[in-house]
Parts: sequence; C-alpha cells; structure tokens
Amino acid sequence: MDGKIIVITSGKGGVGKTTATASIGAALALEGKRVVVVDMDIGLRNLDVVMGLENRIIFNVVDAMKGKCKLKQAAIKDRRIQNLFLIPASQSDNKNVLSPEEVVLFSEKLRREFDFVLMDCPAGIERGFENSVVAADEAVVICTPDVSSVRDADRVIGLLYARSITPKLVVNRIVPDMVEKGDMLSHIDMVDVLSIELIGLVPMDDQVVISTNTGAPLVLQKKSMAGTAFRRIAMRLNGMTDLPIRVPKSQERFWKKISTRLGIGK
Amino acid sequence: MEKDNQDRTAVRLKGVGDGLCVTLDPAQPPDYLQEELARLFRRMKHLAVNARVTLDIGEPDGYEELTEKLGNFLKETFGVGSVSVPSGKKLMPEERIREQDMDHSWRHSNSDVLMLTGRVRSGQKVTARKHLLLLGNVNPGAEVLAGGDVLIIGSLRGVVAAGQPDNREAIVLALDFQPTQVQIGGIVAAGLPPSLGKLTEFAHLENDTIIVEDYLETAPFGRLPWPEVR
Repeated sequence: MDGKIIVITSGKGGVGKTTATASIGAALALEGKRVVVVDMDIGLRNLDVVMGLENRIIFNVVDAMKGKCKLKQAAIKDRRIQNLFLIPASQSDNKNVLSPEEVVLFSEKLRREFDFVLMDCPAGIERGFENSVVAADEAVVICTPDVSSVRDADRVIGLLYARSITPKLVVNRIVPDMVEKGDMLSHIDMVDVLSIELIGLVPMDDQVVISTNTGAPLVLQKKSMAGTAFRRIAMRLNGMTDLPIRVPKSQERFWKKISTRLGIGK
Repeated sequence: MEKDNQDRTAVRLKGVGDGLCVTLDPAQPPDYLQEELARLFRRMKHLAVNARVTLDIGEPDGYEELTEKLGNFLKETFGVGSVSVPSGKKLMPEERIREQDMDHSWRHSNSDVLMLTGRVRSGQKVTARKHLLLLGNVNPGAEVLAGGDVLIIGSLRGVVAAGQPDNREAIVLALDFQPTQVQIGGIVAAGLPPSLGKLTEFAHLENDTIIVEDYLETAPFGRLPWPEVR
C-alpha cells in the first residue's frame, strides 16, 4: 500500500513547524512505521540540526529531485530510531529551483518507499509553500496561541481547502497558567475561529529547547510533556482517531488545589 | 384650430393592461361625446369586441347616468365585453398601495441577494453585486464587500464594506459585531471600540458618520408598517 504524504505548515514562522515535524516523524517511527521527513525549506535548512543529523549530509532534496543522486543516497537514516529517515534541504539553492511537477514526481517515489512522508513546509505562502503542499494528502497546521499566528494559520487553511486538502490543527506552546488567567488565547477560542479538526495540544516545554539544540529526539525524553503530546498526535495520525486530547493543565495549580483541599496555604 | 384641439381632448382612448381606458370630458354635451366615442371605436373594428373598457370621467360623482348611457351604447354598438368606471383609485390611493404591498408586492421582485453559508477566512474576499447574506463567520483578515446591505448571521471580525460605491442607505448587521473596519458608501470607520459580549448590532450612516447600535433595541425597520422590497 502507498504511504501518506503529510505536510506540516503554519504560514507564520517560528511557531514550531520544524520541531513538530521532527517529533511527529520520530514518534511515527517509534510506532513501527517507515517514516521519512523531508525538509522543504530550501535555502534555510533546519530540520537536520533539530534531528542531530547535520554532519551526515551528503546529498539533499534538490539533488534527489533533479536526479543527481538516488533516493536512498539522499535519505539519511537516524541512528537512534529505526525506520526514521531524513531528506535534508539544500542550503545553497533558493526555493525557485524546484518546480511543483518535480515535487509531485519525487513524492510518488517516496510514497512507494515509506508509510509516512512528512514535509516540513517553509514559512510563508509563496513558492516554497506551493511546492510543499502540491503532493500532500493531508496537512497539519501548527498554530501558537497568538493572534498573529491564528491569522496566518487561517489564511493557510483557506489555501489548503482551495487545494482540496482538509487540514488538522495542532496548538503548540500553550502556557496553561496564562490560559487560566485569561492572558493567552485558549485552544477553544482558536478552534472557534479556525474551525478545523484539532489533533493535539502541546504545552510550552523547556525540554524542547534542550533537545533542539542537542539534536536529541524530543519524543524519547520520557518526562517531556511536549514529547508526550507529540507522541499522542502521531498515534492519532496513525489511525487512533478516538484517542482523547489532553488539555495541558498548570501543575502549580494542581499542587495548589491539593494543598487548599488539605487546608494548607490560602 | 381651437375646435380641433377640443375634439382631441374631449374623448381620449388608450390601452391599459389588457383593457381600454377612455377619458371623457363631462363638460361636453352627451351626444357629442357619444359621437366621438363611436368614431374612435369604429376605427378599432374587431379589437373592440369583448374588450374591457373603463370610462374615466375625471370626477367621481354626478355622472352615473352619462356613464351608464355611454356604456350601454358601447356594448350594443361595438360588442365590448364590459364597461366600468375607475373606482376607489382616486379616493383611497394610500390604502390601495398598502393592500398591494401587503399582498404581493415582493412576489415579482427579482431580489438581488447573494446568500452564502460557511466561513470567510483570512485573505479571502467575498463580493456581492447587491445585498450579501452570510450564514457563517467572517474571520479577522477577511473582507466582505457588497453593493447593498451586509448581513452576517454569525460573528463578523474582518473588514466589511456595504453600499459600495455610494449607497448611503446600506447597513451592516452581525449577530456578533466585531469588525476591524466598517465602510458604508465610501465612509470609513476603523478602530471601533470592542462591543461588550455578543450583541446583535448594526452599523448605518447618520449625518456622514457611521453609527453602531444594538439592533434589537433600535429596531430600525420595526417602524415600517408593512414589508417592503429593499
């Protein structure tokens, strides 16, 4: 059976597309699927750094698409997680070197080799976005609880619908404390505006910064709340659609509640 | 010359709908009128047969005898279908119009309304030639434009322009009225203060200023006595 191509996009930059791609890819591979993550951010390659595979790059996605190398040569195998592969972006080209036709052709090859193909889409809605979504079957829209991020996600969702792709929503970087105080948009408000299927809520987690910088997969960190959230998102993408969505709760509040109940504190 | 003029105005004939309307000058002698009528109807030949004729004397009362006489004359001589006098039209025009409005004034109006359902997202633009009715929401960053009114059955958070380019009667209505910008007929209002809670509000022009008011409280069209085509 042919694999699924999922594009991970957001419109706005810096909301966690690359982290999400790396984490969901790793989590799907841990589920036992053959996964390839493709960095489509030509010219600004990041995904290899996040995955800790930077020093093993020989060929990149542009080489593979232009036929300068074979698919197997461009796909870097992850050492820690079996069945996880990375096709890195080219750092020296720009986004216009690829045409949508080339991407579609290459995607068909990937589809035959892997169960899941995750495309890390660049920010913006120009050529890079065009190339990333042209072959996609599904889309995951990453959005942070900011007004600007919601605005851009809304635009991207409109563009995806125009291409007959039904996107799913992941809300990233939730700070439960701020949401409870009403200082941050709640995911309910966001779903209200964006009105697409929600497949995950990822809390703000210091562990993300650490693992991004060290190149260690986030989903392997047992204590990471964000890692757990991404694993659950991967399970949902893998067919467990009835897995309940956990709403991030403030831990301090939890202890406060217990202490209030026990009669200590206020 | 003066005689000619008199002749022409004493009896006039015109087609009205599927009938004929004859205007008579009651000041002329009845025989003269009958003669003139005969002259006109003779020219029409078979067209007069079974026709519906209205005899308009101009004044409502006092000439029943005359109209009856002329009516009978027309029926006997030319075989017209029916003869009547215009009734009520001049006495109660207001009531007639109201009756018409109440009954079926809108039945034949080709309403120019673009009715849509769904959500208008950021970056998307909806343009209607006349009125726009949207069952759904307008997200921030989206634009809705209309030549007439804009009615949003849902929340309105984007840019809205009604009455483009110069219809100053247009209104903008939304169940949850929170637009980033409102334009009505070329007048722009930006930076509206956020409304408290979800209120059904509408914007309209008053002395070149855009006013936003509670729709249910103001009930701008509630004062109209009967439905009208807008």
